[in-house]
Amino acid sequence: MSDITKDAAPAGEVDPALLEILVCPLTKGPLRYDRAAGELISDQARLAYPIRDGIPIMLPDEARRLDD
Amino acid sequence: MSSDPIHVFDRRLVRHRRDRAAATIGQVAPVLEEAAERLLDRLDDITRRFGRALDLGGRGVVAPRLRARGIPFVVSMDLSPRMATAAGGLPLAGDEEALPFAPESFDLIVASLSLHWVNDLPGALVQIRRVLRPDGLFLASLPGFGTLQELREALAGAETALRGGLSPRVSPFPELVDLAGLLQRAGFALPVADAETLPIRYRSPLALLRDLRAAGETNAAVARDGRTPPRALLPMALAALPADAEGIPATLRLLTMTGWAPHESQSRPARPGSANARLADALGVEEGRLGERAGR
Repeated sequence: MSDITKDAAPAGEVDPALLEILVCPLTKGPLRYDRAAGELISDQARLAYPIRDGIPIMLPDEARRLDD
Repeated sequence: MSSDPIHVFDRRLVRHRRDRAAATIGQVAPVLEEAAERLLDRLDDITRRFGRALDLGGRGVVAPRLRARGIPFVVSMDLSPRMATAAGGLPLAGDEEALPFAPESFDLIVASLSLHWVNDLPGALVQIRRVLRPDGLFLASLPGFGTLQELREALAGAETALRGGLSPRVSPFPELVDLAGLLQRAGFALPVADAETLPIRYRSPLALLRDLRAAGETNAAVARDGRTPPRALLPMALAALPADAEGIPATLRLLTMTGWAPHESQSRPARPGSANARLADALGVEEGRLGERAGR
């Protein structure tokens, strides 16, 4: 397993190479990485996608709606 | 219940089933491994080297094989976060119907037996093509029409006898002829679709149902009958399954599709009117008028 897990970042961190290619699944627009909150934020869709145990959850119905 | 043609499957239910199946998927690993081997064998016939791969719904049997073939960057996406974690690549949860990747992120995308719960397959294929780099390869297999036909017929027979009506209990599967057309419409170059049959046998009908459950592959059709089925339905259907000395047949008709993201290096039909020799000369016949029938 070691060759598989060596890419895994410490708890909550997402591999930068993966972060680089992620976009909002709805708008395909860019995402902001809020490291402290552990969220990927789509300003266009007004949604925050959670990161759980280092795994980005890119599912719109799991995302937090951003209030204005 | 929705009659929307594009909303056949309950995606939340699919995710829930896959989440639960993450712990038991090992039970069906032999079938998944066999399907993955057959699919990835195709890579060995291709001289092109790949560097960035996306494993869609690989459930632990695809990503390790991609790495073993020397691909350094492998991302594993699954509708279920738990399944993604165990898949072997850099994990993320995502939906094939709304891919979360920037254009041209990968040069290889593999979906081994994982696209059959997608509602909008044409839409998913277009998105897959967009996240492929030019000359990138999409390689997928899915269960086709004829899969679990024995079970489908047995359930239909029993339900008709008990209730005088039918509800969909085995997922609808696509036909081979549908797939090449879908690939072409999604903008793939050199699309190919072919079929093979994996004869699988079970010692008992219950072993078949156990495996379907362990794989998270039980019914997720929106139009599924939510009522508790009559107590006699399952025993009656299972008794009606054809059995011989070797056990219960559970056919897996494996459809395989390959398509390339368009690139100028690929062969393509010449532009109409760009020929510089007559077809009639090449064939050694006299040129007829348009619409005139041969042999007159």
